[in-house]
Amino acid sequence: MDSFSNPSSGSSHQLSAQDLKNQLKNQLALEYAQQLLETVGRKCFEKCVTKPGSSLSGSESSCISRCVDRYIEATGIIGKALISGPQ
Amino acid sequence: MDLSDLNSAEMQKFYSEEQQRAMVNEMVSKLTSECWDKCITGTPGNKFSSSEHNCLSNCAQRYLEVSMLVMKRFQGMQ
Repeated sequence: MDSFSNPSSGSSHQLSAQDLKNQLKNQLALEYAQQLLETVGRKCFEKCVTKPGSSLSGSESSCISRCVDRYIEATGIIGKALISGPQ
Repeated sequence: MDLSDLNSAEMQKFYSEEQQRAMVNEMVSKLTSECWDKCITGTPGNKFSSSEHNCLSNCAQRYLEVSMLVMKRFQGMQ
C-alpha cells in the first residue's frame, strides 16, 4: 500500500507531508486532552466527592467546576516554573 | 507521498520535534499531579491563595533541583 486516499487532496488521492503532519498533530493533541481529562476527573473527584451520595449535590458540582479551573491554572503555573528554571 | 517519504529528513525533523513536545507535556503533567497533591490540601476555591500559588511554583523548581542533585550523587558513585 503505497498511497492513501485523503479527502483534502482532491483529485490526486495522495497524502501530502503536511496532511500527515496535521493528522499526527491532531492525534497527539487528542490523546493529550484525553489524558488531561482523566487526570482532572480523578483529582477533582478525590477533592470534591468525599462521601458519595445518591446524586451530586450543588456544592459538589460547584466544587468540581472550581477544581477544574484551578487544576488547569496549576498546570500553567508548573509549566511556567519549569521553563524559567531553578531560581 | 509513499512509505519511503515517511523517513524523509523533513518527517524526521517533525518526529523529533513532536517527541520533544510530548516529553515536555509528560513532565508538566506528572509534576502538576504531584505538586497539586502536595500543595492544594483543602477544597479548591475561586482562586489560589498566594501560599498555594507559591507552593506550586516552588514545587516545580525544587523538583528541578532535586533532579540535578540526584544526578550529581549518582555521578559521585562512579
